[in-house]
Amino acid sequence: MATTTNSLTLTSTDLFDDSLSISNTSTCYKAGTTIGLDQTTGLTRAYLTATTVIDLFPVVKGTINAAENGKIYIANLSKDETEFVTINIGDAVIGRLYAGDFMWMPWSPRAQHVNDIELVPSVATGVNVEFMAIHNFANIYPTGVDS
Amino acid sequence: MATINATLTLSSGDLLTSNLAFSVGSTLSKAGNSTGLEQTSGLSRTNFLSTDPASRSKIIYRADDATTNGANKVYLKNLSATAAEFFTVYIDQEEMGRLYAGDFAFFPWSATQGTLETFVVTATGTVAVGESWTFDGITTTSTSTAINTFAQQVDNEHYPNWTTSISTAAVTFTARHASVNGVVTGTTAITGDTLVESGDGNFTMPITSGAAGTRSEADIVVLPSVATTMDLEHMLFKQ
Repeated sequence: MATTTNSLTLTSTDLFDDSLSISNTSTCYKAGTTIGLDQTTGLTRAYLTATTVIDLFPVVKGTINAAENGKIYIANLSKDETEFVTINIGDAVIGRLYAGDFMWMPWSPRAQHVNDIELVPSVATGVNVEFMAIHNFANIYPTGVDS
Repeated sequence: MATINATLTLSSGDLLTSNLAFSVGSTLSKAGNSTGLEQTSGLSRTNFLSTDPASRSKIIYRADDATTNGANKVYLKNLSATAAEFFTVYIDQEEMGRLYAGDFAFFPWSATQGTLETFVVTATGTVAVGESWTFDGITTTSTSTAINTFAQQVDNEHYPNWTTSISTAAVTFTARHASVNGVVTGTTAITGDTLVESGDGNFTMPITSGAAGTRSEADIVVLPSVATTMDLEHMLFKQ
């Protein structure tokens, strides 16, 4: 098993009259256990020059396995505050990552095309994005072709 | 504007043969500019109890709560200490993933809203003192024989599911949440209202225009895995 630690801090000194300081640290475990997740897609950086839909972590086969668990990280590395990437899951829009924004969320992939994580740049002039999954899935292939 | 900083750190000494260690920071800004987000739901804690209804899922944030396509951010954390317990997180009907004990999530939220159902009801005819109109559980009893005064009374009420505005004798009702409320069918019918009229048949409250609503398709919903007490911590940053 591997030990992967993830931490999130949220701070502000002027959102409230008092300071906001949230700090969390957890370990990425397999579903329902204290055994560490042991696979990763690796940290990927991509330069996207079209406003077409990108399937970040294609699910190529299989169905959900209750023992599987995963976390995904996606960041918009753009410096232009008007540029965003829209993140979708299946038929739903999760939200827009504007320049410099990131996200960290759990993901439970099911069968192919059912709830893939997709990214759509807002511009075709070139946007750098970064993404990574830490997981124990048996059925996602980050370099695979998803039709 | 406020300055809210978010930082994510991922590290592992044994996931790969080389160390994994990176940290990413962001200042939460409004969509398309560098003005900081300045509204929040506050840091909240929601209990899921064994006595909750059978479905046990709860809407944590309604799309109505934030600006559609704003740079909204959602923070969720499963406070359980039992490894097997998880919350399944949904956006509308779409399952995003499972938050196991101690897990947290931080993600953008487009908060795509539906449309608010609305209708106009117009006080018509001659109203008598004591006549009344009931809608959404609120009964307005006339204290005057002036029809416009009665309409003003209707507008002055606080309805659980509707807001109101008034123009002369016409009161516009607008749903507080986007959904298919089912009150308006076209522009000719209203359900759920009760008119108590003294007998001369001259006082009516007809709907004079309306438009049906559509539900939001981006509400954040969580479902606990067990029918025992589980707690979720959550916060919405919004513009």
